[in-house]
Amino acid sequence: MRTHVAEPWIEAPLQTFVDDARALFALLLHPNGQVMGQFGFTRAVDVMAACALAAAIHASAGELGRELDGKPFREMYHAGKDRQIFIGDVPTTRHRFVFLTVFDAESSLGLVRIYFQELCALLENAQPPATVQAPISAASLEHDLNRNLAILFGRAPRDSNGSESSISLA
Amino acid sequence: MSDEVRRLSEELARDPSSLVFMQLGEALRRAGQLDLGLKVAHRGLERHAHNADAHDLLARIRVDRGELQEAFDEWDMVLRLAPAHVGARKGMGYVLFKQGKLAEAEKHLSTAATHDRGDSSIATALRMVRRLLRYAHVAGHGNGAPGHAELVAAQRRVEEEARLLFADILGEGEHTALLLNADGLVAAGLYVTADGEDVSQEVGAALTGVRDEALRAVRHLDLGVWKAVVYETELATIALAPAIDESMVLVAAGRSVPLGFVRRVLDRCVQRATTWLEEVA
Amino acid sequence: MSASPFDSILSPLIRQRGVLGCLVVGEADGIIVDSNVQVGIQSNVVAALAAALYRKARLTSAAAGLSTIGFLQLEAEKGHICAIGRDGLVLVTLAEPRAHIGRIRGAMIESLSVLA
Repeated sequence: MRTHVAEPWIEAPLQTFVDDARALFALLLHPNGQVMGQFGFTRAVDVMAACALAAAIHASAGELGRELDGKPFREMYHAGKDRQIFIGDVPTTRHRFVFLTVFDAESSLGLVRIYFQELCALLENAQPPATVQAPISAASLEHDLNRNLAILFGRAPRDSNGSESSISLA
Repeated sequence: MSDEVRRLSEELARDPSSLVFMQLGEALRRAGQLDLGLKVAHRGLERHAHNADAHDLLARIRVDRGELQEAFDEWDMVLRLAPAHVGARKGMGYVLFKQGKLAEAEKHLSTAATHDRGDSSIATALRMVRRLLRYAHVAGHGNGAPGHAELVAAQRRVEEEARLLFADILGEGEHTALLLNADGLVAAGLYVTADGEDVSQEVGAALTGVRDEALRAVRHLDLGVWKAVVYETELATIALAPAIDESMVLVAAGRSVPLGFVRRVLDRCVQRATTWLEEVA
Repeated sequence: MSASPFDSILSPLIRQRGVLGCLVVGEADGIIVDSNVQVGIQSNVVAALAAALYRKARLTSAAAGLSTIGFLQLEAEKGHICAIGRDGLVLVTLAEPRAHIGRIRGAMIESLSVLA
């Protein structure tokens, strides 16, 4: 199974992570919940839900870290009975992302952490030059959230200049 | 129903025109649910009749069902849609091999190997077909294309050679050796338990995972090529080492056999396996 | 600060010829419990990968009916990884090709009683 991404430069780093860490699911998103790439999900609605939850957990943990430690918590981990979840902050020089991955006993927290560090380095090296961003409004945020989901699930073309491709998930 | 099959089924039900039917069909095939897989592939092809990978999926399901000719015809369709499709060449080579048409199988596998030099399973299959062809010609004293009797003789000779490949190295000692291909399938050697049961396939399949972990460790720690993994269990010492085409030699010895001796046997078995495989390069 | 409970096994191991680092690692999570490594060794990477290798060997040995696993050695062109485990912990040694594996193996087997 291959990764699906909203922007081409994300594909190779994300695929490398999934292959090396043998992850079951992987999700790269903006802290606002906009999906940038995913592996393992088959439904847009699941990606949308996972993005919203990951963004909320990331924001909450950030605040909790500030309260307790004076700085945001960068990584979070939870071990379930069969599956484990890891959420980490991906700070590149031009973007800030949140990364979520789910894995089982075929991998381990130690492996996920080393490959997560590699993922951060690969994204840093792969990122395109910065472009001027339009101010974010409620309408544009909603549009961006839907646009990337549509691209990932093959309902919208990936435009080369980052301009809108006006496909709704509805 | 596995989580994966359930998720993929739901996705397909929600969007019947989705290409997810290929993932679902493959998941069903791997799970051995061949009738369901066949149904999914057929329905997908109704909407995506010109998708080469969809025909490839159908062919693989057909092969698993033992419908060799139908599989061959499906792969033939794949090649019409995508002439460079390596999977189709490989599949047709396999069908022809099973049908005893070795010369034709060799042609398809050679083409597949040319297109994908990194696929060790093609190289392994090609070596097997070439070896059989050579032995069949010898059995027929080189008089024209080999017939059924020559092919049977060649098959027997290959099986005998494979079974006894390490026999003289191992002697009567308390140890055994296997040559495993890239998929963990036994290519040569024998692993028999104390009560005489042949567990070669089971042991080979189980221990192949160790090779994958060893490869990952040396790659990420920059340790160069892996030479061997040796470990001791309560019952035996296990030694693994790489051979050509991503194959691997496994030696298992009783705990009373000194580690150094096990290592020496392993080296000799790797050398023997390499020579045997390269005979028909 | 008191020495860790594993200091008694790590200190003698790191003094062996050619040893670049030795670590006590959780087998399931690949996380370091204690370590003594030379400068420049990526201990987290060694820990995670060695624990994964040991775990795989242990599980596959059991699946193949070969019973519990003891000492394991991965020999590569540029070095060795040695590991031995007990009760969910793995003692790992990373060594140069010139290292004397026989001595390292002996020291690691002797240390096994401390891993509990």
